[in-house]
Amino acid sequence: MKSIVAVGVWAYMVLAVVAEVETFYLTTSFATVASVVTVLATSQAVAVVLFYMQLKDEQGSLRLFALIPIMFLSALLIAMLASLGGK
Amino acid sequence: MTDTWLKRWLYTTNHKDVGILYFFTSLYFGFVGAILALLMRAQLAAPGSNLLSAAYYNQALTMHGLIMIFWFLSPVALGLANYFVPLQIGAKDLAFPRINAMSYWIYLAGGILAVLSFFVPGGTANAGWTTYQPLATLALGTGPTLAYLGMVLLAASVTLGSVNFMVSIIWLRATGMTLSRLPMFTWFMLFTIIAMLFAFPTLIAAFVLASTDRILGTVFFTSTSIQPSILWDNLFWFFGHPEVYIVLLPGFGIIANILPAFTGRPLAAKNAILISTGLVVIPLSFGVWMHHMFLTGIPVSLQGAFSIATIAISIPFDVITLSFIESLVRGRVKFATPMLFALGGVILFIIGGITGVFLSSPVLDRAFRGSYFVVAHFHYVMVGAAIFGIIAGIYYWLPRMTGRMYNEKLGKWHFAISFIGFNVLYFPMNLLSDMPRRIFTYPNQGDWATLNAMASVGAFIFSGAQILLAANLLYTWFRGPIAPANPWGSPDLEWTSHVEGIAPIAESGAAPPTGGWIGQLSGPPQGHETQSRGGAVGHYGHLSSRPIQISIGALVFLIGAAFYPSISGVAGLVVGAGAVVYAFWGWAKDDIEGKFVVPPEDVGDRWPFASVPKLKLGIWVFLSSEVVLFGSFLGAYIFIRAASAQWPAAGSIHEIPLGTFNTLVLVTSGLTMFLALQSIRKGDRRGLLTWMGVTFVLGAVFMGVKVSEWFNLGGSGFVLADPAMSLASSAYYIIVGLHGAHVTAGLLVMAYLMKKTSMGTYTKDSHEAIENFGLYWAFVDIVWCFVFPLFYLL
Ligand code: HEM
Ligand SMILES: [Cu+2]
Repeated sequence: MKSIVAVGVWAYMVLAVVAEVETFYLTTSFATVASVVTVLATSQAVAVVLFYMQLKDEQGSLRLFALIPIMFLSALLIAMLASLGGK
Repeated sequence: MTDTWLKRWLYTTNHKDVGILYFFTSLYFGFVGAILALLMRAQLAAPGSNLLSAAYYNQALTMHGLIMIFWFLSPVALGLANYFVPLQIGAKDLAFPRINAMSYWIYLAGGILAVLSFFVPGGTANAGWTTYQPLATLALGTGPTLAYLGMVLLAASVTLGSVNFMVSIIWLRATGMTLSRLPMFTWFMLFTIIAMLFAFPTLIAAFVLASTDRILGTVFFTSTSIQPSILWDNLFWFFGHPEVYIVLLPGFGIIANILPAFTGRPLAAKNAILISTGLVVIPLSFGVWMHHMFLTGIPVSLQGAFSIATIAISIPFDVITLSFIESLVRGRVKFATPMLFALGGVILFIIGGITGVFLSSPVLDRAFRGSYFVVAHFHYVMVGAAIFGIIAGIYYWLPRMTGRMYNEKLGKWHFAISFIGFNVLYFPMNLLSDMPRRIFTYPNQGDWATLNAMASVGAFIFSGAQILLAANLLYTWFRGPIAPANPWGSPDLEWTSHVEGIAPIAESGAAPPTGGWIGQLSGPPQGHETQSRGGAVGHYGHLSSRPIQISIGALVFLIGAAFYPSISGVAGLVVGAGAVVYAFWGWAKDDIEGKFVVPPEDVGDRWPFASVPKLKLGIWVFLSSEVVLFGSFLGAYIFIRAASAQWPAAGSIHEIPLGTFNTLVLVTSGLTMFLALQSIRKGDRRGLLTWMGVTFVLGAVFMGVKVSEWFNLGGSGFVLADPAMSLASSAYYIIVGLHGAHVTAGLLVMAYLMKKTSMGTYTKDSHEAIENFGLYWAFVDIVWCFVFPLFYLL
């Protein structure tokens, strides 16, 4: 991977942080901030994993393997929040 | 007992030695667990008895469960796996021998903490093995704290162990050992450790949070403004359900592995078994945990979903059981001791599985929850299926470990009495579905007295029968006739390579296979030996004092933590941390000085990760487990946040501009680390040093800002003691602190790497350590990308 791509990724990371903070200042809606932040933070994670950790250049099986914890973790997070509903 | 003998066992990193250490240590803990069980059964033998007080009973009950599951059942399987997985795949050792030794010593240290916890004033944990919070918070004192920290150590040991096994099974297979030829025991250990890898982090998170409540006064499980019980249930059972397969699968793997030898035909429906387990049981096991929460008031829709998932997960078990039965029916069964135990295991699993299906219905569960019916269910599967399977494995492999044959007649008696004792012990519990579990005494009502008396008699018969196992082990070891080299006519490598010497395990050709324990126990330490009898002969094995040092350091540190903030507690923390750092430093020094070298493995079959280097694969596997660890902590925070009616407004506590600045600093360090990597990839050592230096500085700035933030926050009233702030500050300090610890560890490693760089160690073609550190640093970066918005902006 070219270093210029790495700098591009960095620029994206910076922009995403700034966008998160700006969203916080520009809106009072908790839901909006929460969704924007979720999307941006996830995109940052994906960018780092693909480029800095270079998962994009790795074997497909490793990419698949990296998805396993994400899958389990999502199940935990979603069901955990859903379990609150029954109070 | 000579100095070298002792040194060998304390410093060994050889997989067979470590396997034997695991084996005997787990038997010891099994013995402790059994004594606790017998105390309980003695107390329950008659109604209204007062042999044990309620307080002692509850402690015995709790620690019986924890010790049996965590310090006996899984470790005894890991012991066999340590010994036999490398042999079965044709490897010289596990992928990371020192880490393997470290897993063992940390496991032992955790066990020491658990046992110690009985002896402090007030006694140990008493809320059951599930440690339900906030019930468990009622037990004050250091005893439960020690037990919890023991659990954290144990879970850390398991995580390291699973990374090690995962990489070994992928990377160290001999040429020709394709996945389709992998023996069943190794397959099932692979399934087991994958479940371990992703389940144990959540257990770590749960016990760390519960421990900080006790030690530092955080309020995760004591807060009254949320329902902490639901938080605990989710964390514990997300781990807990996969855990039941983690304890079951090694036993199943053994049964599947040995059936062919005793039925005279290949395993029936082998692929169906593998697919059912690998592609259905393991993934689905992470999606059924709420069947342990049907009565906690979770929404009905969730109950429905989890009930159906639970029924679904019993289907692959039908496939597995039917395949086993097919093997038995079609084959010509030879009833040697291993086969008897395997058969017993299958029968008991069927009974236990059927009772489990009853429990997966929310409606029936209303009646059975919290009763002895549940106790019967899980003992049928855990003791019946899992332990019977493991005992089958012990008999099966004993000739390979000792070079001698066990006594068949004694083995058959062992089986007969165990099987009868087991059923006398647990069958009555199926009928006690109207008796609550976990009570220390009971009134003389209905048939309770009779059934309980029966169970108690059964308990003594069943445990008594295990004396026969011990006797048989001793007999085999000292008196057993020399075993044929491949007594079961097995095609698996652990037997055939031993015979033909074709595999990389260099056995001594000079002596008949009298090696194993005997040869090993009397032989000189490895690393110095060239020739001795059997066992580890000719093995490249090396000694390292670091694993045990690290473990002792961790033990002292955690004892200190339990007694914090007393002076002795603080002393323990300081000394323990010092010892750990010293030991890791020594580990690094051994590497720099080339004192501990693992020779390269032969190229073998590495599908499906052929192009990922060994250590890198290890890092990826480890990080994937860390994803679940941090995810569990953050999940706990999100849960708390969503459950709280009130929360300090974003921006009112944390300074957003400062946080943003710090985030940008860390994000930038991600780039500079990458540039450091790019430099050495081109062979530019100067560039590496420069960019890594910049990364180091950025990381240090990040930590500096963090620490100053903490001081300011503490000064401005963001403290645990303020009820309006207690939950928010608990979450912030612990989770951000944990991330900070990861950054700090990264800084230390960077210092080491820079020193090695300046020594000229890394080149264009050889800089694996830098690549791997890059992965770690990027991961730490990612975590912060979530921590920052969650804590600062929401
Ligand atoms: C055939 C598939 C199985 C099904 C459908 C099943 C279902 C269930 C259900 C619904 C419960 C909750 C009962 C309650 O607390 O009211 C339960 C409890 C339990 N099961 Fe299973 N189970 C199965 C297999 C296993 C296996 C293989 C093991 C272990 C090797 C196991 C170990 C346990 C344990 C330890 C508990 C009790 C946890 C506690 O202390 O509360 N189960 N099972
Ligand atoms: Cu379960």
